[in-house]
Amino acid sequence: MSAELFFGLLAPTIVDGLSIGLMYAVIALGYTMVYGVLEFINFAHSEIFMVGAVIGVELLTAVLIPTGLHPVFQLIIAIVVAAGAAGILAVAVERFAYRPLRVRNAPKLVPLISAIGMSLLLIDVMRLILNPANPNRPFPSGGSFDFFTQTINLGFVSINYKTMTVFVVVMLMLAGLVYLVNYTNLGRGIRAVAQDQSTSSLMGINVSNIIVITFFIGGALGGVAGVLYALKYGVASPVMGFIPGLKAFTAAVLGGIGSIPGAVVGGIILGLLETFAGTYLPLMTNDQIGTEYKDIVAFGLLIVILIFKPAGLLGKAVAEKV
Amino acid sequence: MSEVMLEINDLHTYYGQIHALKGLTFTVNKGEIVCLIGGNGAGKTTTLRTISMLKPPKQGYVKYKGQNLNSVAPHEIVTKGLAHVPEGRRIFPRLTVKENLELGAYTVKDRNLITKRMQQGFEIFPRLRERQSQLGGTLSGGEQQMLAFARALMIDPELILLDEPSMGLSPLFVETIFDSVVALNKAGKTILLVEQNALMALGISNRGYVLQTGEIVLQGTGEDLKNNEAVRKKYLGED
Repeated sequence: MSAELFFGLLAPTIVDGLSIGLMYAVIALGYTMVYGVLEFINFAHSEIFMVGAVIGVELLTAVLIPTGLHPVFQLIIAIVVAAGAAGILAVAVERFAYRPLRVRNAPKLVPLISAIGMSLLLIDVMRLILNPANPNRPFPSGGSFDFFTQTINLGFVSINYKTMTVFVVVMLMLAGLVYLVNYTNLGRGIRAVAQDQSTSSLMGINVSNIIVITFFIGGALGGVAGVLYALKYGVASPVMGFIPGLKAFTAAVLGGIGSIPGAVVGGIILGLLETFAGTYLPLMTNDQIGTEYKDIVAFGLLIVILIFKPAGLLGKAVAEKV
Repeated sequence: MSEVMLEINDLHTYYGQIHALKGLTFTVNKGEIVCLIGGNGAGKTTTLRTISMLKPPKQGYVKYKGQNLNSVAPHEIVTKGLAHVPEGRRIFPRLTVKENLELGAYTVKDRNLITKRMQQGFEIFPRLRERQSQLGGTLSGGEQQMLAFARALMIDPELILLDEPSMGLSPLFVETIFDSVVALNKAGKTILLVEQNALMALGISNRGYVLQTGEIVLQGTGEDLKNNEAVRKKYLGED
């Protein structure tokens, strides 16, 4: 391939990879925050993401488009509602599927199975609600929603409003989360519970409340990511959570499970890796190896990284003295 | 007659099948330093954990300032002015010294009060001021003990439960910690101290109780116990 073609594709590939990576990062935050406080992987998180997406799309289609509001306002309302609904759903899942096991001191593997069960349950319930014969829900397009397919030229790259929206919303969420976790009393409480639950309660922290709040925040982030994902790929469906959920989980492990900056770094790296592989593999092999092999390259590299950094890139760095 | 601050009555606590506390009864009066001494596995730490309801009792009760704590959650007990410095200090290793102190004041809403108390803590332990932006996990054992102590003071407690403050510390640090215990007691704090270092603990205590496999086998003033032959043999390493 020519150098001209190589460099010509560089900027759009980076933009695309970043936007995908940031969505993985936001989903990964849900896994990593819950893992942080409970050392438990909430495998139903990918379905919380899916429910957020479906609620956002349905709300836009059935309620918001008829109002004739500017599509950006419609999307903001859809995102806020999806965040709230997904957060509440995550709390409900915790309340009914995980907490009863925790208070009975179930072995760690048991809630994991419960989470997988919740995941399947949510997929099938959603399929039933949406109509099993045709459960896919397209993201609104045409009319005023053509706005999101318009592109703006930033000189070095042109970027459409869909991708722009992903950037802006994710950046706002990350800024909000960083502030909450690092600079508020609640955030200190979350970090304390993640390190030592019984000592946290001696500080006057209600550990059960912190766990509930963590599930809510993780679920809400997942719900917003769902709406953004549906916007970018044009559809919401009951099974849409599986692949991005798996990748976000991978991103969380890559960054160092339990680490918030790790989830962001892991998500971005994974997004960039797979997008680069998807763009350049066919070009560099004369289409012998197609875009569909991008995940092999991305995950192959991940395995290599984890061999050298088994705790993840930003896994616990401080030695703990007892 | 001095005012009873903490009343422990017929306390029974279990770890699974293990009967860790077998009918403990004792009191701590306002303004006192009281110590519980005894060997490993005597139930000293369990007693403190039961008082702060981290390990609620099966039988008996804990009364603090006349209020039964049995059904009060650990995080609510703190708001009543009862602080617990746990065994092994248990500072938060991945939070800074300052954040550890702020967590001690989790239930305090007044920012000015938090700043004031933090400054007071720094005056007692100047070392902590120098290290305030360092991660807790990077402190030495002695510094961690100071931090755990200063953290407990952030609620301006009336009663402090201190679990093995001398554990693993150099003699110099042990002295610093014991001096500050005495100073705080003079400033009006009531202290229930658990120690393996019986000689030092009895030296600063008004009264003491000797625990053995979950039961109180001896009690008396600090001075009496220090001079008691059985105590000297068993816990002060004299033959």
